[in-house]
Amino acid sequence: MRGPLLAAAGGAMGGAGGPLARTIHAKLTAALQPTHLEIRNDSPRHGGPPGAETHFGVLVVSGRFAGLPLLQRHRLVHEALRAELAGPLHALQVIARTPQQWESDPHAPPAPPCLGGSKR
Amino acid sequence: MRAAVRSGWRIGAAAAALRGRAGRPLSQAAGEGGGAEGGGGSGSREAVERLVREHPVVVFMKGSPAQPLCGFSNAVVQILRLHGVEDYRAHDVLQDPDLRQGIKNYSNWPTIPQVYLNGEFVGGCDILLQMHQNGDLVEELKKLGIRSALLDAEKDQEKK
Repeated sequence: MRGPLLAAAGGAMGGAGGPLARTIHAKLTAALQPTHLEIRNDSPRHGGPPGAETHFGVLVVSGRFAGLPLLQRHRLVHEALRAELAGPLHALQVIARTPQQWESDPHAPPAPPCLGGSKR
Repeated sequence: MRAAVRSGWRIGAAAAALRGRAGRPLSQAAGEGGGAEGGGGSGSREAVERLVREHPVVVFMKGSPAQPLCGFSNAVVQILRLHGVEDYRAHDVLQDPDLRQGIKNYSNWPTIPQVYLNGEFVGGCDILLQMHQNGDLVEELKKLGIRSALLDAEKDQEKK
């Protein structure tokens, strides 16, 4: 993921990130026991003022996702952040991989916005 | 006028102008007779159910395919366009707060955009993007009888 990253699983946050970022980290850690976790505050990219915490992206690597289709994986993430999504968290991008998937491709795909010009 | 409005976003600006004069959100005009009150409005389960079954490909987004008002909604529009899917139903939730909440209740999904294939919720922009990247979207479209334009693009490549 591009942009400032906040802590991986097992690391100390060290004060990085605002309160919502820390909450997201704590709740996803508790709910999914991720082996790898990246949280990105996209609020500035969406016109947010300094310190805004409204748009986030999360990359979650967890064995809990094994055997689950994408929709169910995303639902697990949403469930962990239900209160936040009903409140200040306005948008949430989610990448949810199993440890095996992450090992074979330890890169997050580029963020969506401009699809113009991309060839496949 | 109702027929023109129901034919969806293909008409683009003309449809938007018609909707403006009619004074009702597209989502209401499309599914119900004039003044139908039963079922409790455009955000009710029944109303949403009608919308998601209206067409094989239905998108709830911010703005319109001609003019998306959000990067994630735009991403969905662009992905569908890449696959040559231009004929689909798009509903602008910014025009209808009841629908905006109703669609989230219906799918138990907290965000917009939302993509429905054959009446079934498939996911948002992230999932659609991953389906596009891993080839699943081509397969899902095929099940709906829609041939992705990317298949033809590949064929052209092979001919050269």
